[in-house]
Amino acid sequence: MTQSPIKKAVLDTLTLFVPAIPFALVFGIAVNESGLPALLGWSTSPIMFSGAAQITLVTLIGEGASLAAAATAALIVGARHLFYSITLAPRFQDQPRWFRWVGSYMLIDQVFALTVTLENRDPNYFRRYYLTSGISFWTLWMSFTGLGLFIGPIIPESWGLAFATPVLFLGLLALAIDRWEKVVVAVVAMVVTLVLADLPNRSGMLVAAFLAILIGLILERIRR
Amino acid sequence: MTVLLIICCVGLLGYGMRAIFIVSLAKLSFPPLALRLLEYVAPAVMGALVMTMLTGPEGALVVGIPELAGLVLAAVVVARTRNVLAGLLAAMGIFWLLRHFLS
Repeated sequence: MTQSPIKKAVLDTLTLFVPAIPFALVFGIAVNESGLPALLGWSTSPIMFSGAAQITLVTLIGEGASLAAAATAALIVGARHLFYSITLAPRFQDQPRWFRWVGSYMLIDQVFALTVTLENRDPNYFRRYYLTSGISFWTLWMSFTGLGLFIGPIIPESWGLAFATPVLFLGLLALAIDRWEKVVVAVVAMVVTLVLADLPNRSGMLVAAFLAILIGLILERIRR
Repeated sequence: MTVLLIICCVGLLGYGMRAIFIVSLAKLSFPPLALRLLEYVAPAVMGALVMTMLTGPEGALVVGIPELAGLVLAAVVVARTRNVLAGLLAAMGIFWLLRHFLS
């Protein structure tokens, strides 16, 4: 029973996109709060195509961070894509060259989650499924982040919807934690960021992240 | 415009991170130390990011009881359900509720 990869991909994508809708709205609010022109803010959607990294970049620019610090933070937030790339690389080995280049652009959290678990090992099936899912997510993300830009500014500031951004990232943080060492690392990062919060250009954040990763390495050493 | 240039740089480097193994280095493997280091990048950066969002431009913490309750609830709900959307809804719910009654 081979279900059409295209039909399956569209259905899976629609299901997985529903939780991403609030992200698009939060993105719209973040762009609005940052003071960037709407179109410039939206341009991160096709250029970066990564919700968390887009919100990070836009928010930090709005918070008064230096552009270099904002860019560095956005890149670090996107560093998990290295894992996706290394994990899916074997499935791309028997694929045409153009698909490796195009597929890389579409390698977002959801497409990774959907394709890494695909049971059908046929390369053609994989490619059709991957492309359909990627294009569907792309279209939905472009539309909903655009919509978020219009809806974001209409929502009164008194609703406090901007609070959704730190909550969202705390949620992603909780999701990334699978052992106690990571809790220590996250807490160290938070405390050091708070202590260094008055450094210029929000640079304390990068110092804190660096220190916290070092602590993680030390913990790892002790455990062994 | 500088911001657009930065966006393009981040986009290009981000694409590079996605493409590097898929396009070229499919058979190369990471040294174990680098892999272990990468594991701690997410919690460290996310923790620093959340705190940055909670502090004002002068470095003071701008969090009241509603925010604190929302953040704690979000962490607990996501840790238990592994569902970010559920955490987001729960946190915003308690945040609005407490803000309404405390003001």
